[in-house]
Amino acid sequence: MIVTTQKPLDEVLDFISPYDNILLVGCDGCTQPPRGIREARTLGQLLELGGKLRGKSFTFKATTTAKQCDPYLTASMLKPQIEGADAILSLACGIGVQTLAQIFPVPAFPTQNTHFMGAEEREAGILEERCAGCGNCLLAVTGGICPVARCSKGLITGACGGSKAGKCELSPERDCGWVLIYNQLKRLGKLELLKETRPPRDYQLKGWKVTA
Amino acid sequence: MSTPVTQEAVGVRQDVDRCSSCCVCSTLCPYEALKKDTAGKITLDIARCQVCGLCYSTCPAKAIDTVYYDVDSLTGYLENARRESGSDTLVIMCKGSAPDSAKVQEMFGVSQFATLSVPCVGRVPEEIFLKAILMGFNEIDVLACEEDYCRFVRGSPVTSRKVAGLNAVLEQLGWGKVINLKKNSLKVKATSELCIACGNCVYYCPYHAAKLNSPGVISFDLSLCRGCGLCTAMCPALALDLENWERERISTLISQHVIDMTSPRILVFRCQWAVFPSLNGQSPASNIRFIDLPCASRVDTFHILEAFQKGVEGVMIAACSEDDCKQEKASGKAQRSVAKLQARLGQIGFQDKLYFCTVAPRYPDRFIKELEQFSQKICQANKKEAT
Repeated sequence: MIVTTQKPLDEVLDFISPYDNILLVGCDGCTQPPRGIREARTLGQLLELGGKLRGKSFTFKATTTAKQCDPYLTASMLKPQIEGADAILSLACGIGVQTLAQIFPVPAFPTQNTHFMGAEEREAGILEERCAGCGNCLLAVTGGICPVARCSKGLITGACGGSKAGKCELSPERDCGWVLIYNQLKRLGKLELLKETRPPRDYQLKGWKVTA
Repeated sequence: MSTPVTQEAVGVRQDVDRCSSCCVCSTLCPYEALKKDTAGKITLDIARCQVCGLCYSTCPAKAIDTVYYDVDSLTGYLENARRESGSDTLVIMCKGSAPDSAKVQEMFGVSQFATLSVPCVGRVPEEIFLKAILMGFNEIDVLACEEDYCRFVRGSPVTSRKVAGLNAVLEQLGWGKVINLKKNSLKVKATSELCIACGNCVYYCPYHAAKLNSPGVISFDLSLCRGCGLCTAMCPALALDLENWERERISTLISQHVIDMTSPRILVFRCQWAVFPSLNGQSPASNIRFIDLPCASRVDTFHILEAFQKGVEGVMIAACSEDDCKQEKASGKAQRSVAKLQARLGQIGFQDKLYFCTVAPRYPDRFIKELEQFSQKICQANKKEAT
């Protein structure tokens, strides 16, 4: 899922200060934590309260989209709602914001900072990167743990010398991705995979466009 | 000379002189708060007590006292209710599963009735049923929670036995079967078209009632649902609602309260197991109003913000501690969700207007004290803002 965090409310209030009628658009797709209709309404409530303190009263309308990055779907879902709005606030990732900006004549602003593709550790309330979108998936040989995303240096050949007690030298909180991979392969009885030689990482594989 | 220790007021007391150590209370107490000690005496450990009132209502020696819904206050309330309703029918309901009056009418086939709504019907002594009949009520309808839904574990089964016993006696006396017992529970309602399959309810449900079976649609095993409302408060798609505590209904309550409150307005969301409401339902001051919920986990961030939008100056949430929570520690998750909202409110200077506290009916003064302190804080802030 695409992990986002809420921008400071002041920043969002700055974006919309020249406008009056704002359409808040959630996304029921892959944004995590979910930024659906509840978040859109909650954000509207918070911005209304924040606006009042600035002496500005906005009119908010909250709605949501199934997958904000899909221009056809989003256009058809939002067309009936966009009327009267002089600005749009998107609760989706950066792709959603760009889609809205592309299909509607009024300005679209982000309410989120988009971080990475990740998963949520719900008990701890923490979201971590899981996929770096490298264009050359190695999960088949690394026990289903991504070295590019989980190793802070993105190494694909094994742990560096900075791995200490299972933790990364860059942050004592962060698990060493390669220790995770080692333990997983051991559990699977596939440690011999570590002995295979692999070509160096080809950064061009990531690419900037692919054919559908 | 030792200084006298001021003892904190408690919700339940044991009169050791009256106690005959018959063990009815210790057998019934769902929380092992009443136990037989090595000397054969019954002792009350108030720290474990959840004030279900089962001991009070069943003690043959009347050796248990409670500050909530005792015989005198129940009698007074019923006399008044009989006069005001002008009806011969009395409906006694547990707050945990009490539906709206239309549903009550439908369930018991009655049109006009007096109601007595208490946290667990099991706490109502047999004496009160008999007194009600003597007052002129010729039909008593009892609505208890389903047994596996009962917040006090044994409250519902005790009620069944009590009603069966009373009816047997009443029939022998020629009164006929005066008391009708029905059981109810209030559970989640899902609108599957709105579901976005985020999995929040699957994670949050303390009873594993939410399941994602077919792709994209959550279904609930209602036999497992215990109606805490946590899923409802956490659903990002607003696809869930809780029977009798629907989002709309709570919004309407907030609007109604705001209209007749004086400033500075303080709205208190109370878990109905953390604070026992007074029988007349009144709040202590004209600027304070209560909304009772089935668990603090039903407190919706949406409603907190709505209250602020409508001009409420302070929102307080009175919850059970995680250990006291009747809903598998759901109150802890509620607290974390409120803390998250508080952090966001901090960005617009509203953080001090929201307050979460844990209280318990075993210490009746704690809620009063918390409310007083919060109220003072809000009043001071209000004065400051005015100047």
